[in-house]
This record gives sequence, structure tokens and C-alpha cells, in this order.
Amino acid sequence: MANINISCIAIIGKQNNPLYIKNFSPSHPDLKYHYIAHTSCDVMEERASMKAQDMYLGVLFSMEDLSVYGYMTNTKIKFITVLTVPDVIIKDLDMKNIFRRIHSAYVNHASNPFYEIDSQKMIKSKKFEQEIDAIGRGRAHEGGNRNSQIAPAP
Amino acid sequence: MAANQILPKQVNESIVEFLTTEMVEAMVRTVKDDALKLSSERDTAHGNPNDGAGGPKDYSEGDEAMEAVYYKLEMIGFRVGERLIEKISKDRMRFTDNLDVVKFICKEVWMFLFKKQIDNLKTNHRGVYVLQDNNFRWFTRMANDQSSAESVKRVTPYLWFPCGILRGILSNLGIASVVVAETSSLPACTFQIKIAKTA
Repeated sequence: MANINISCIAIIGKQNNPLYIKNFSPSHPDLKYHYIAHTSCDVMEERASMKAQDMYLGVLFSMEDLSVYGYMTNTKIKFITVLTVPDVIIKDLDMKNIFRRIHSAYVNHASNPFYEIDSQKMIKSKKFEQEIDAIGRGRAHEGGNRNSQIAPAP
Repeated sequence: MAANQILPKQVNESIVEFLTTEMVEAMVRTVKDDALKLSSERDTAHGNPNDGAGGPKDYSEGDEAMEAVYYKLEMIGFRVGERLIEKISKDRMRFTDNLDVVKFICKEVWMFLFKKQIDNLKTNHRGVYVLQDNNFRWFTRMANDQSSAESVKRVTPYLWFPCGILRGILSNLGIASVVVAETSSLPACTFQIKIAKTA
């Protein structure tokens, strides 16, 4: 996981409205990632209808020195991660792991009663930002995994 | 195991049951009181103060106050369902079609909410799904010694919250639907989901 260099994490809502976008690399301006996130929407819809089963959609496209990965939840929330292309091969498993952590962070955030699910507002939450920050900078879990067990207790 | 790991949730079921029944009761009580106050104000303005006020609260369907109760309870359920599905669909594969979603509701969602699965699922393959639960968990404690028509009437408001949950779940999965529930004999009940045709 150490070789993965995340440049940007973006979260897109149901109506293709941006929910959250975070730039981790100083090499590109934020605007570029807005463009990338925007262009990814159609590709993701297409992939999701083709590759029915998994929420992880793999590499969406590459441009210049960046490669774009996508993930779409059952509730049609789209997560986009942009990587700076490294010299080594990126394993799908690592990417899935990253997306799963983003998903956890999002679910935790959606459980917040003060967050309106369909409000289409950008996400503003300190906790959520910390979690995404930890993922983006490649740090291990912080604060434990709150959703480690969601099945009802036996 | 990390020191700050949060333990899995364990919820006292009695409390949940009391809370859900009390939520319905409180809603009926407050909304009915408001309606009575309103109507009595209106009546005094018209000069006959004794009409409509002070009668016992009944659960008769069709009147405006019950519509308001229905709307509120259904909306609570809707919002609960919306959030709930984010949580329980997290580790699930993507749904292939509407039937897949309804099956998921019958099995996993029902298991999550009521610790049992739906007993019978019927569909006409044109967007109507009938989910039958022969032993609805929230009804198991309800006594059934009145005439059956009376108890059916009394129990109807308790179905609106779960109806809302189902609609919220479906809505957040991108399926617009109408959910109605009815019961003919306690503790059995049926939920009918009508999914609007996607063009």
C-alpha cells in the first residue's frame, strides 16, 4: 500500500452533484480534478451497467501522468480516486481496500442525523475530512473501524 | 485489537418496541389534539363551541388528522430507511434488477429489522410485489381480544412507520415506489410495493 500515491479523492452524489473533493498533490490545481471527476461520471455509469456485480469499477481512464479509479455504491454514490502513475503495478486489492475505507467513512457520515442525505450540499464535517485525509495520505486507520460489525448480534 | 475499537452494537429489544409503539401513540395524540384545537377554534368563531371538541380519540381512517399522522410517520420511516440502507448495503454486491432488490429486502433487510425473513413473496412481474409476514415482530405483543375489524383499525397506524422504511430504502436505491401495508388478522400482515415503471 505504501507505493500508492493518491492525488485526489472525489465523491459524487446521486444526481452527479459533487459532494466532496480533496486534492492531495500540489502538482495540479483543484480545477483539474473537478474536470476529471466530471468526465468520470459517464464512464462510471457505463461500467456499472456492464460490469454488474462489483462496486469497484477499476481503472476508468488514464490521462497524462494520472490514472483514475472508480467505485459506485448501491445507492449510486460515486467515489473517484486519482493516482499519480507509479513505476510499480497497482494491485486491485489495494485499490478496493482504499475504496472500502472511503465507503466506510461515507456511511459513517451519512448516519449523522445532521446530514441531509438528498440535500446535494457539499460535505462539511471535520470527522469525515479527517478520515479522508488519513486515507489520502496513506495512513492506517484512525479511531478504529466503527462499522466492523453491522450484522445483528446473534 | 485496538484500544479505541468500538464494540458491536447491542440494543435492548424491549426498548425499541416501546419506542416504536410510543412514537405512534404520541404522534396520534399530538396530531389529534392539534386538530381538535383547530376545529374548536374554528367552531367558536362560527358560534357553536361544543361541536367536535372533547370526544374520545379514535383511530378512524379517512379523516384529516389521521392523514397528517400517516404523513408524519411515513416520513420518519422514509428517513430511517434512507440512512439504514447506506449501512446495510455496504458490503453487498450490486443489485441486478428490481426483483433482486425486493429479494434483498425480504431476506437481509427483514433479518436486520425483525430477525426473520419474509414468509411469502408474490409478484406479478409488472412492478407489484406482495410481501407477506405471518408473524410480524412488532405485532407479536399486541393482544387481539377485540373484534378483528376493531383491532385491524387500531393497528393500522403501526404499519405506517415500516412502510416508510421500505419506501426510503427503495428510494435511496434509485427506485421510486409506493408502499402500502394491511393486516387481516394479527400478527400477520402484508406489505405491497408498487414500483413505478422506469421509462
